Amino acid sequence: MRAIVRGIGWGAAGFALGALAATAAGWAAGRPPRAEVLVTLGYVAGLTGWLLGVGLWDAWARGWFGLPVRHEPDHTWRRYFRFTTDHKVIGVQYLVTFVVLFVLAGAMALVMRVELAAPGPTVMSAGAYTHLMSLHGIIMIAVAVATILGGFGNYLVPLMIGAEDMAFPRLNALSYWLVPPVAVLLVATPLAGGFDTGWTAYPPLSEVNASGQVLFNLAVITFGLSSILGGINFLATIVGLRAPGMTWRRLPIFVWAVFAASLISVTATQYLAAGLLMVLLDREAGMAFFAAARGGMPLLYQHIFWFYSHPAVYIMILPAFGLALEVLTHFSRKPLYAYPWVVGGFLGIVGLSFVVWAHHLYTSGMRESLLGPFMATTELISIPTGLVFLAALGTLWMGRLWLRTPMLFALGFLFNFLIGGVTGIFNADVPTDLHLQDTYFVVGHFHYTIVGGMIFALFAGLYYWFPKITGRMYDERLGRVHFWWMFLAYNATFLPMFWAGVHGMNRRIADYPAPLAGVNLWISAMAVVLGASVVVFLWNAVASWIRGPQAAANPWGARTLEWQVPSPPPEGNFPHPPRVVGDPYAYGVPGAAHAVVAAAGGAGEGGG
Amino acid sequence: MTRHAGWVVLLWVVLTALGLVGAARVDLLPVAAAREARIIDDAFRFLMLLAVPVFTFVLAVLLYAVAAFRARREPPEDGPPLWGRSAVPWVWLAVTSALAVYVIVNPGLRGLAELRSDRHADLVVRVEGSRWVWRFVYPESGVTSRELVLPVGRRVRFDVTGVDVVHSFWVPAFRVKVDAVPGMTTSVYVTPTRTGDQAGDVNFRVQCAELCGLGHHLMAAPVRVVDPGAFEAWVAGGRSP
Repeated sequence: MRAIVRGIGWGAAGFALGALAATAAGWAAGRPPRAEVLVTLGYVAGLTGWLLGVGLWDAWARGWFGLPVRHEPDHTWRRYFRFTTDHKVIGVQYLVTFVVLFVLAGAMALVMRVELAAPGPTVMSAGAYTHLMSLHGIIMIAVAVATILGGFGNYLVPLMIGAEDMAFPRLNALSYWLVPPVAVLLVATPLAGGFDTGWTAYPPLSEVNASGQVLFNLAVITFGLSSILGGINFLATIVGLRAPGMTWRRLPIFVWAVFAASLISVTATQYLAAGLLMVLLDREAGMAFFAAARGGMPLLYQHIFWFYSHPAVYIMILPAFGLALEVLTHFSRKPLYAYPWVVGGFLGIVGLSFVVWAHHLYTSGMRESLLGPFMATTELISIPTGLVFLAALGTLWMGRLWLRTPMLFALGFLFNFLIGGVTGIFNADVPTDLHLQDTYFVVGHFHYTIVGGMIFALFAGLYYWFPKITGRMYDERLGRVHFWWMFLAYNATFLPMFWAGVHGMNRRIADYPAPLAGVNLWISAMAVVLGASVVVFLWNAVASWIRGPQAAANPWGARTLEWQVPSPPPEGNFPHPPRVVGDPYAYGVPGAAHAVVAAAGGAGEGGG
Repeated sequence: MTRHAGWVVLLWVVLTALGLVGAARVDLLPVAAAREARIIDDAFRFLMLLAVPVFTFVLAVLLYAVAAFRARREPPEDGPPLWGRSAVPWVWLAVTSALAVYVIVNPGLRGLAELRSDRHADLVVRVEGSRWVWRFVYPESGVTSRELVLPVGRRVRFDVTGVDVVHSFWVPAFRVKVDAVPGMTTSVYVTPTRTGDQAGDVNFRVQCAELCGLGHHLMAAPVRVVDPGAFEAWVAGGRSP
C-alpha cells in the first residue's frame, strides 16, 4: 500500500509541475492556456510521476543512473498492491481489477435499464443517461480487451509454455500499473462534465462537448499504451521462452490465441491512439483533422477509429476462443479436434480483421463502390470462425463429457456465440444493415459475442483455474446455480433486443416511442435477474478463496503444464525447465505424455 | 457412430422445422411503407431462411453430444483420440466457404444492386440535421418544414447533411438510413408505397440514429405519406393541407 501512496504523491507533484510549466509557457507566450490544456499537460507529467512513484523508480529507473535497484522479495498479500514482476501476481492484479470494473460497469447497465423500463424520464435526465451509457461502454470495452488477455494471459502463458516468467517482467508490471490511472480518469469524467459520445468519440461532437471528453481521450490513449506493451511482451515470451520441445505444433491452443490477439494489439492500437490524439489537437490546438467547420473531414476519424476498433473485437474474442477450446478439450477427455485448422483459423481471423473495418460505415456516406468489397471481406470472416466451431463440435463428439462448472460455461459460450455469429450475418449484409445499423439489433449482436461469448469464457476460465490460482476449490453446487441462473437470464435479457431493434428501437437512446414499452420493460426486468446472478459468483469466489477446501495440483486430470506444478505454483514456476515430449491433448492415446516435469522428489511424468 | 449421426440428423430436421415455423409466426418486421423496405425485408427473410438451418445444425450436435456423451462423475477413461485428420475439415471448409460466398452474392450484392438500380427522382428533399431538430426543405417549391410530408408512389431523393455534428437520417417504415455529416451531402432514394402517418404507426418517423449528444432522444420528426393531390395542396398551402 505504501507504494500506491507514494505513486499518488509523486503523481500529484508531477501534475502540479506539468500544469505549472504549461501556465508559465502560456504567460511567456502572452496567452494564459485553457484549463483543458493545463489538465492534458499536467496529466502527462502526473502519469510519469505516478509510474515512478509506484515502483518504476525503485525497481528499474535507479539502474539508469548507476544506483542500485531496490527489490525486496515479498510473499505476503501486500505484493498484490506493489510493483511486482512475478507474472502470476500481475495476472491476479489484472483479473481482480477488471472483475471489479466489470461489476461496476454492470451496475451502471442496471441503472440504465431502470431508466429504460418505461418511456419518458423515470429516474434520471436524458443527459445523465447518455453520460452513464458512454461510461458503461468504455469501461466494458476495457474489461473485454484486458480481462482474459491481461489476467489469464499473464498468469498462464509462462506456465503453459514451461517458462519462469514473461520475457520482460518489469515491462509487464509497467503495463499493469498504467491501468489504475485509466480507471481513475474514466470514473472522474463526471466531475469534468462527462462525455456524451459513447465509447466511439466521433467528432465533431467530441470536439465541442464537455471537458470530460479530454479525460476520456487521455484515458484511452494510456490504456492503448498498456495494451501495446502487453502485446509486445506476449509475442516475445511465446517466441523466445518456450521450454525445450515446446514446438509450435505442441503449443496449447490458449497460447496460440494469446499470440494471435497480441499480433493485433501491437499493430492496430496505434491507430486508435492517433485518432484520439488528433481529436485532442483539433480541440486544444485549433487543428482541423476532423473539424468540418475548419475544413476537416469527420468521416476520416471513423475510418481511423474502426481500423483499430474492429480488429480490437478480435483482441477480445480470440483469447476467449482459446480459453473455451482449452476447457472443452480437457472436459471432453479427447484431443482438440483439427488443431492445425484452428491455428489457421486464428491467423485467418487476424489477417481478415484488418480489412473489414468499413462495415461499420455502410450508412456513413462513404463511397458506394466501397460497400460491396467490405461486405465481401466481412462475410468471409465467417469461414475462419467456422473452423473454431468445427473444432469445438469435433472435440465434443464421442467424448466423455464431464459437466463441471467450467465445462457448462464453455458450452454456454458456444451457444451464445453462435447466436452472436448468426446475427452478425444480418449486420454484415448491406441491404439489411441499412435498417439494422445503430439499432438494438446491433446492441443484441455485440452483447451476444462479448457478454454471451467473452464473459462466459471468462467465467469458464475463472472456475477452471480457480483451484490453480488460489490453491482452494470453489463450491461446485454454487457454480452450477450461477451458470444456469446466468445463462437463462442472459438469453431472456438479450434475445428480445433483436426484435426491439428491428421494430425501431435505436441504440444509445434515453427515450423511445410508447409502443416499444412492453419489450423494454421485459428486458429491464430480466437484466435485474441477470445482474443478481453475479452475486452468486462473487459469494462463491470470496468464500472459497478464504475457506474453501485445499485443491490438488491437478483436480481436473488435465494434461497441460500449468497442472503439473503445485497449486498455487511457486515463484519461478518450475524447479527445472520442463522438457516437452508430446502433444498437450493426447487424451486416449496409450502411453502418451506431454512433458517431463522435474518435481521435488525427482522426475515425474506430466499429464499421463 | 452411424447411429449417433442418424440421431443428430433427425434432431437437426426437427429443430429446423420448428425454427422455420417459429420465424414465420413471429411478427418479424414492422410496417413496410416503401419499395426499399420490400427489398430489404426480402433480404432479411432470406437470411433468416439460411440462418435457421445453420443455427440448428450446430445446436443439434451440441445438444446431442451433451445428452449422449455426458459422464455422471469424473470419467474413468478417455474418449477416442479423433484428431480431425480425415476429410471432415475439408468438407466443413468447402461448405462454409460456399455459404459465405453465396450470401455475399445473394442477398448482398443482388440487393445492393436492386437498391441502386433507379437513380431518377420525382422529388428532391433537402434534409438538415442539427442538435436536436430535423429540417426538411423542398427546393422546387421553397417549402420548409419540421414535418416530412411525401406523396405516395413518387420517387424521392433525400440530400442529407449535418449542420453541427454527425446525425443519421432513419425512417424505420422505409428501412433506409444515411448519416447527416457536416461538410458533405449524402443521398438516399425512397419510393413510398403506402400512405400513413406517425399517429397511426410510430415507424412513420424520422429518427436520428447516430448519437449526437445529450438531446439525441429528442431528435425525431413525424413522417406523413399522403396522396399526390393532398401533397400538392400541402405544398401550395406552404405548410399544412
